[in-house]
Amino acid sequence: MIEFEDVSLTLGDFSLHQVSLAIHDGDYYVIMGPSGAGKTIILETIAGLHVPESGRVLLDGKDMRSIPPENRNIGLVYQDYSLFPHMKVEKNIAFGMRMRKVPQADIDRQVRRLMKRFGIAHLAQRSPLTLSGGEQQRVAIARALAIEPGFLLLDEPLSALDPMTRELFVEELRTIHREHALTIVQVTHSTSEASELGTRMAMIMDGRLVQEDRVEHILRSPGTTRIARFIGYENIFDGVVRSCEDGLCRVETDGVSVWAVSGAPVGQGVAFCIGADEISLYNEVMDGSALNVFPGSVTKITISGALALITIDIGIMISAVLTRRSATEMGIEPGAKVFISFKASAVHVMDEDESPGLTHHDPMAAT
Amino acid sequence: MKNLWEFWISRRSRTGVWDQCLVAFAIIGSILVMLPLLALANITIGQLADLSYLLEVATDRQVIGSIVLTFSAGLNAVLILLILGTPLSYVLARTQSRFNQAVESLIDIPLVLPHTVAGLMVYILFMQRGLIGAPLAGMGFFFEDAYPGIVVAMLFVAMPFYINSVKEGFQKVPVHMENVARTLGATRFQAFCLVVLPSSVRHILNGSILAWGRAISEFAAVIMIAYYPMIISTLIYYRFTTGGIKESTAVAFVMIVACLVVFLVLRTITRFVGRYDDRV
Repeated sequence: MIEFEDVSLTLGDFSLHQVSLAIHDGDYYVIMGPSGAGKTIILETIAGLHVPESGRVLLDGKDMRSIPPENRNIGLVYQDYSLFPHMKVEKNIAFGMRMRKVPQADIDRQVRRLMKRFGIAHLAQRSPLTLSGGEQQRVAIARALAIEPGFLLLDEPLSALDPMTRELFVEELRTIHREHALTIVQVTHSTSEASELGTRMAMIMDGRLVQEDRVEHILRSPGTTRIARFIGYENIFDGVVRSCEDGLCRVETDGVSVWAVSGAPVGQGVAFCIGADEISLYNEVMDGSALNVFPGSVTKITISGALALITIDIGIMISAVLTRRSATEMGIEPGAKVFISFKASAVHVMDEDESPGLTHHDPMAAT
Repeated sequence: MKNLWEFWISRRSRTGVWDQCLVAFAIIGSILVMLPLLALANITIGQLADLSYLLEVATDRQVIGSIVLTFSAGLNAVLILLILGTPLSYVLARTQSRFNQAVESLIDIPLVLPHTVAGLMVYILFMQRGLIGAPLAGMGFFFEDAYPGIVVAMLFVAMPFYINSVKEGFQKVPVHMENVARTLGATRFQAFCLVVLPSSVRHILNGSILAWGRAISEFAAVIMIAYYPMIISTLIYYRFTTGGIKESTAVAFVMIVACLVVFLVLRTITRFVGRYDDRV
């Protein structure tokens, strides 16, 4: 188990402010946040490469303040893989074991096993600089796993890979997590990586932990508009709660009233977001259970691969996502009159304040 | 003539071999190249015209001894830089203390000072009554008109060339690489020895060559503390003032040939050493 207790740290102009989190054994823990938020610093602090100015880092309950990185038994893989350019692949993988003075026969056996496991046996005598990104990635992970680490820390390991190799690696990482029953901490700013791999997630912004929860919970219920914007919500609005009844609130924004599941008091200024994939689009009014139904006109269509992001003016600009094929079949084009609907439960109400207290759920209660 | 030039330029540009801008720059730059080339050609032709005299000078024991002395004192200075300068370069590359700038300015002093001033500074420090020279003289270790004096003067002027080059090399080794080595079980010192040093070997070699070149070309700083034993630049000056231009030019030509050979060999070695660090 990895625990951060009010960890504060300053590195040049950057500061980490009283970060507290708990990463349980077997978690695939994702640390997410914008560039420069302090994600990598957290990983490096776990690894012992930075010592907190205040607070404590505990590994399996033990205070690690005086334990240097070389004695923490932690595997670390950076985005650039950081393979040693002057060593062949084989030597790179063996490095950690050599440092631990493992007998040569055991080193050879372990290196052979890992190279076979990751399909890189044919690269044993190659220089890392001659390998592709995917191959370098495999070598870096094999090198980290060779020391049989207690925790594996991955710093944006997939961001330098092409989409196809990336997909293969997502599966690979899932398998490693399962096979080795490892606690993995991965830094990413990709929502899809977080949702595909992560069990729990910490959202870091400006050196502060702003939300910590199960991945699906954060993605569905971001704590602030900034988090919502970061994880890709297109529809984020400010409004005022006009009425509340049986857990349903009517929130008004720019003259448009939206029903939301919320306990916010009447008269309170709130922010709310709606996932573009939660909004249904029709050519005519449809009967359904959705409380929020609005007529509108299409103002913009943005094509992205097989999907189309449709912006509709319903008094406020709101975006819905359709498959490109559906959009064509429905005759969606700028100026087209359409109806949209979404459930009150699809409207996630947040505090209007940009920096509320940490939204933190008890991990044991969540499981 | 103009049409022919335009035709040639346009034709080369189309094939992508020559670029009009690069050709113009090359022509401007060649003026600089002409300077040493002309000087070399001038001295070479002059010397080859009297081959027997040149051979006589080249086999002169004092000339050979002086060249060996210069090269070995330079090498000695570089060895000291390797031992003392490498750790300093690493500290400067890996820390961002406010003292760094002050330390770097101190190291760069020999770059901006007239070499006579540098020599004077070294002399005052290492003379028999000097801050460092006095206690060492008490132990029978002298710098004035002695081999150690030549080495410290060379060390002083060559220091910035070595430190700056090696520091740049260390800076180019990603800190991530050291971090990974440390999580894999290497201490900071092991990470330095096993990861950083091998990745910077080209910069260390280049820094050493630059520092050595600077050391063996020193004159003013050396004569302030050690006129004797004569290094080659002192000998050339001595022969110029006592024997005239013919004598000093012959010695100079021998030194040019010796330097060219040594530097060609070193540069060739550099091309093949530490090629793996092209990425870092």
